[in-house]
Amino acid sequence: MAQTAAPGNRPGLKNTWQRLVESWLRRRAPIHPPLQLAYRQIFILPTRFGWMLGLLMGAMLIGSLNFNNNLGLLTTFIVAGLGVNSMLLAFRNLHKLAIRGGMANPVHAGQTAHYQLSLQSTDERPRPSLYVRHEVKRVGIDIDDSSAVSITVPLLTHQRGWHRPGRMRIETTHPLGLFRAWAWFWPDRPYLVWPQPAERPPPLPEGGGGPGGREQRHQVEGEDFYSLRQWREGDPLHRIAWKASQRHQDLLSREFREEQAPELVLTLDRAPARDLESRISIVTAWVLQAEQLDRTWTLQLGSLELGPDHGPPHRKRCLRALAEL
Amino acid sequence: MKLPEQAIPLHTVGWTVAAMLVAALPHLAAMPTGLAVLIVAAAAWRLAAAHYGWRPPPRWLRILLTLGAVALVVFTLGALWGRRTAATLLCVMLAAKMFELFRIRDLRMVASVCFFLIATQFLFNERLFYLVYLATGAMVAVVALIQIQRYEDSTLTGRNTADPDHRSLIRQGAVMVMAALPVALTLFVLFPRLAQPLWGLPEQVMDGRTGLSDSMSPGSIANLFLDDSPAFRAEFDDQPPPPQHRYWRGPVLWHFDGNTWRQSQFASRQPAIPVPADSDTIRYSIQLEPHEQRWLFVLDYPVNAPAEAHISLDYQVVDQRPVTSLKQYEMVSNPDFIDMPELHESLQRQALSLPPERNPRTLDRAQELRERYPDDRELIMAVLRWFNEEEFYYSLETTPTGRHGTDEFLFDLRVGYCEHYASAFAILMRAAGIPTRVVTGYQGGFWQPNGQYLLVRQSDAHAWTEVWLEGSGWTRVDPTSAVAPERIEQGSRSAVGHSRHMLDTEWLRTLRNRYDRFQHLWNRWILGFDAERQQRFLERLGMPDTRPGTIAVIMVVAMAMVIAAITLVVLGRSWRHRDPLLRAWHRLERRLHRTGVRRTGGETPLELLKHAAGIMPDQAAELERLAEHFGKARYGPDPAGHAELFIEHSKAFKPVSPNEPGALNSV
Repeated sequence: MAQTAAPGNRPGLKNTWQRLVESWLRRRAPIHPPLQLAYRQIFILPTRFGWMLGLLMGAMLIGSLNFNNNLGLLTTFIVAGLGVNSMLLAFRNLHKLAIRGGMANPVHAGQTAHYQLSLQSTDERPRPSLYVRHEVKRVGIDIDDSSAVSITVPLLTHQRGWHRPGRMRIETTHPLGLFRAWAWFWPDRPYLVWPQPAERPPPLPEGGGGPGGREQRHQVEGEDFYSLRQWREGDPLHRIAWKASQRHQDLLSREFREEQAPELVLTLDRAPARDLESRISIVTAWVLQAEQLDRTWTLQLGSLELGPDHGPPHRKRCLRALAEL
Repeated sequence: MKLPEQAIPLHTVGWTVAAMLVAALPHLAAMPTGLAVLIVAAAAWRLAAAHYGWRPPPRWLRILLTLGAVALVVFTLGALWGRRTAATLLCVMLAAKMFELFRIRDLRMVASVCFFLIATQFLFNERLFYLVYLATGAMVAVVALIQIQRYEDSTLTGRNTADPDHRSLIRQGAVMVMAALPVALTLFVLFPRLAQPLWGLPEQVMDGRTGLSDSMSPGSIANLFLDDSPAFRAEFDDQPPPPQHRYWRGPVLWHFDGNTWRQSQFASRQPAIPVPADSDTIRYSIQLEPHEQRWLFVLDYPVNAPAEAHISLDYQVVDQRPVTSLKQYEMVSNPDFIDMPELHESLQRQALSLPPERNPRTLDRAQELRERYPDDRELIMAVLRWFNEEEFYYSLETTPTGRHGTDEFLFDLRVGYCEHYASAFAILMRAAGIPTRVVTGYQGGFWQPNGQYLLVRQSDAHAWTEVWLEGSGWTRVDPTSAVAPERIEQGSRSAVGHSRHMLDTEWLRTLRNRYDRFQHLWNRWILGFDAERQQRFLERLGMPDTRPGTIAVIMVVAMAMVIAAITLVVLGRSWRHRDPLLRAWHRLERRLHRTGVRRTGGETPLELLKHAAGIMPDQAAELERLAEHFGKARYGPDPAGHAELFIEHSKAFKPVSPNEPGALNSV
């Protein structure tokens, strides 16, 4: 795990402030999921619209008081009552809401990671108008009953490696948009970002890798039909070409062969670039290319050797190794 | 203007526009029809735009429309700048806003300004009926706000809100408004009221209607006969005075210019000679509807003046400011008081002056009478007899008269109503040398037997005279009673004799009188709740100190209690499932919880039951059966009625904790 800190973590007033806020919040209540939102971590303030209505209410109040207009006052106070109830309902919409989990499938740097959280109303109360905000992104969700609902928060990725999503905020302006209740939380399950593949990578490095190489076994069991040959002991039954065998009065086996199957050995040394990150991204592109061409490849990173193997699981292992490098 | 990607759906726009129209309804009715039509057209345009997916007009056109609308208001109403114009302007600006109602914040702005618009209407009229307007307007505005919030959610969740359940929306809106009432009423009762207004009070509150004016010329009172709206209501500590004594004193008029009777600057500025209270005094309280004038109507003769009012020499009770909102005051009157046993010379001059070269026939008649009746009282009786015995008629259908109006009335036409008779009588008296003044006000009133109050309508407006007599001072003489005694005994309606318009039926009148009782209670408890009543109310509750500062503290404490109570209701009440199966499940879960089987995070109901069976092996079979019923009822079609079975069995199931001794015994 090379990098767990958020990108751009430079010391500064803003960061100091955020650390202070974080430590204050941490003292108040748990901040890492799984958690259940409670009184001490739910904050509430009027929205901009709420302030505006408050101003309007003030104008109504002064006017009605001055003219001793009791119905006007009643109208004003009904607005006040709506405000008070809005505040309570916004609070209730978050109160006893459980936030769990948090995971995202790995993506390449520069792509959007989809961080999944699970929200559940622990008292079976429906929870409309919930938003999860992360940096500038906001996603909304309604919870209808007690079943856990998963919500996907898009995260922008910049750097390869393991990351934590950082501060998230769950908020609601239910029911009238007058008050915003919110709670901060820091999902601590990290997510993996693979290196960004080079845009125009050089062609795959054909041929053996290290000194001594490997035996170039052309005759690997491949996918493509090659020829028929006499049956030998050990050939599996499904390989027997029954129709042809009948014609030739002899048991014939189908032989398969990989059309072009030279083994690939991918190393950082083979990537034509100067700095490490560019090399990593070239090797990443190669891994993707090899998988696309259905090739078998070996990835050598220092003492770590993955493969030879092929297919998506192998690709994922390789990408993870590259990300963690 | 940055617009949302998808157009705002019709139902969201529809509710917002509806809120605007409901709030603007009374304003639309009061403004010039052309403007009202334009406002409705703008609202209709916005609805059509939502339906057909039109884009907002370009910015320059919107600005032009707004400026044009404002110019139109200034052009139409500019000369009459006042609250009505301001309210109209607000409506017109909202109508202009229809053309840029394409963002969430604009929608919210319009929906919230509706509350302001509703409150504005109450500056013009606070009748009981407007409570319906307030409730409806607030509810529709709340529904609009809910719908806007839903729309905002849908832009982020992507959930389809194409077809909201309007009935449930209306229910939610109504519930929200009603839930606002505890806070609203607490504030209403306890919010400290201003004893003095911060700035000037408005001039016009009657929306073009008129009350009694400060002068009397032919026809001025006749206008009021058609107006059945209440002028004031009176409650008496004891019995109300008999109908013939219900003279409600208003402006007292001294100067006659041949056409119009006016007040005397002198008599209305001088303070009154104090009236002593004695055993026959009448104690009553008046609830005066706003009439844009300064008089407070009282019975003869006022002993005290309400705060901020004074009593003039001719016993008019005059407030400091025009009455522009409902005013309640307590009065004591002494009907036996002798007003001015001695008449000051300057007043006598005023009470005898007549315009020169007017009504020669009347003057001749007065001279004739004077010669025949040297005694003032006999002369008065003779004139009243004359009115009674000769062909004089009481009618509202009069003919306009010329320069010598009283001559024409007394000798040619002989058809008129109270102000003609009062004026003619006063002129006759003055010509005969008897000091006379005209008093206008109201006479009579409808006694509400159930409500125990007297309702006096505008149509009860009346004019009578007072003559000064040696020994008895100013004495009331009502010449109308000589012509139409039923006018005094039974009220203005009987004097007119026929229905004044088609809707004037007995049945409708009864209904109106019934409705007025509610209006009376409304006025008394809601509209009339001012600083003074608030103080008295708190005193009755046992608060010793009722200064505004203390009231504010009481309000804060009461508000804290009310909000705490609401919070308990909102947060404490556990959510009840509509689904009986889930209700039964939660009951079972609570029982298991009590015996120590706790549901851990992420455990499904079936897993929980398995977990419970592990802890309570004795009841494993029962729990297994419950799990089977629940699983089949919850997660699939349930033709075999597993839901009912689960509910039944779960009710009967009593979990026994393995740690309890009872459980051990049973093993």
